[in-house]
Amino acid sequence: MPPKVLIVDDSDFMRNLLREILEENFEIVDEAENGVEAVELYREHDPDLVMMDIVMPIRDGIEATSEITGSDPDANVIMCTSVGQEEKMKNAVKAGADGYITKPFQKPNVLEAIDDVVA
Amino acid sequence: MRVDIQSLGTYNRLAQEGAEHAAASLTQMTGIETYVDVTNVTLMSKQDVEDVFGGTEFVGVQIGLGGGLSGETALAFDQESAASIVDVLVPGASADDDGEFDEMAQSGINEIGNIMMGGFVDGWADYLGASVDMTPPNYVERAGTDVLPDGALDRAEEEHVFVFESQMTAVDQEIDAYIYMLPEYGAFADMLAASDDHDDAIPMDKLTVFDEMTRQGAQQAAGNVSSMTGIETDVDVSRLSFVPIEDVPNTARDEVYIGTVMEFKGTPGGYLAILFDEPSARTIVDATVPMELDEPLGEMGESAIEELGNIMTSGFIDGWANVLQTSIDHTPPELVHDMGTAILSPIAGRLGQSQEYAFLMDSTVVTPEGEFNCELYAIPDERKLKEALDSLLVERSDQLEADQESLF
Repeated sequence: MPPKVLIVDDSDFMRNLLREILEENFEIVDEAENGVEAVELYREHDPDLVMMDIVMPIRDGIEATSEITGSDPDANVIMCTSVGQEEKMKNAVKAGADGYITKPFQKPNVLEAIDDVVA
Repeated sequence: MRVDIQSLGTYNRLAQEGAEHAAASLTQMTGIETYVDVTNVTLMSKQDVEDVFGGTEFVGVQIGLGGGLSGETALAFDQESAASIVDVLVPGASADDDGEFDEMAQSGINEIGNIMMGGFVDGWADYLGASVDMTPPNYVERAGTDVLPDGALDRAEEEHVFVFESQMTAVDQEIDAYIYMLPEYGAFADMLAASDDHDDAIPMDKLTVFDEMTRQGAQQAAGNVSSMTGIETDVDVSRLSFVPIEDVPNTARDEVYIGTVMEFKGTPGGYLAILFDEPSARTIVDATVPMELDEPLGEMGESAIEELGNIMTSGFIDGWANVLQTSIDHTPPELVHDMGTAILSPIAGRLGQSQEYAFLMDSTVVTPEGEFNCELYAIPDERKLKEALDSLLVERSDQLEADQESLF
């Protein structure tokens, strides 16, 4: 069984791109457009990995990560964001994120980051 | 040196009023109705000035200033505008095969320059309570920064200098004229200097450092475009201007753009607009969305533009955040499709509730062959910018990158 992945990004374009990169080796269980949906869909699907954007409407990715890892300390979350600020990265670590990929990314970077977290 | 914002605003207003006098003189002498598009004060290095002028062939009039205001000025027309002026001013005057005007035409341009620049500096003299002396006008036909008086950029070899620029445009003809004034740095710096206890003062050395950080942010944003689209891009022009808030919309070209607007919140806070002309937006979508799209861009194309705006914004502001050891949030991108002035107007309106002037950081990202053009406008909240500059440690200004590996 391939690992189950939940993609969280407010951009159709970026969700599409991530799906194209991941669907060969992973099962994409669902896609969320904001942090609120991400938490709901995490509970529903219990995925092996969450690819989480940071800047999103309604609720951002760091808050959503904090809630997910608060209720499931074993959750694997990789921040997948354009934000390259050290303070944000520290906040992501505090929220329980396991990895961090900055956009724009190439397929090998994404797969390598996932390997580091899910292997 | 700390610069008094109010003084800078006063001198900008004097330049604006001076340019309006000059435009009125041009109208009076030629019957061609002209108005002042925008007047700004820019802090530029020699390279910045060269980037702005490019290789454009100018017809110009150089005049040196002394007395109450010392420095160099030039009135510059592009060749076509100069020809239109000469047609009206000296009917029958001619240009040779190389486009060089005959003596009578040169004399006419020289005189118009003399009169316009006289109008430009009169208000300064009144304000300063001292006469401003002008050298006789010197007619030139030169390319790029060579239209400026010899030696005008000597100081800019080593540090940033103030450049006043006013653009004048004819109402119903394709005529543009520019007035450039480069005040003598030391004397002008003294005129702007604020006392240490002045609340409304900006540290000029840090502003220069911030300008350099912004330039690198624009480079990062251009790099992100290249990574995402495969299209090689670079920053063509990047500059920091001081403009009246109501003139901010006029700094955009008279063109329809597609792009994104974001508010960034923190220290500094403000707005960032990333605008592509329509053909460039199409080029980006074609490069990033591998499918046939509905006209003009389709939902997926618009999403690609939004995401690119998102990624470019981060490239732009992350360096500020890392140097300042803070975090800067930004709102999700708001897609815009309108004339440049219409896109910038609401931003100016929002900031204008609390400030009269804006430090405008604008950069142009282009491809080597020119098939792609993107304008970035960062307009910080003046109060937040001042806070950012006060907390900026110059020795950290190269720490633009986050140390990701130590955290994950």
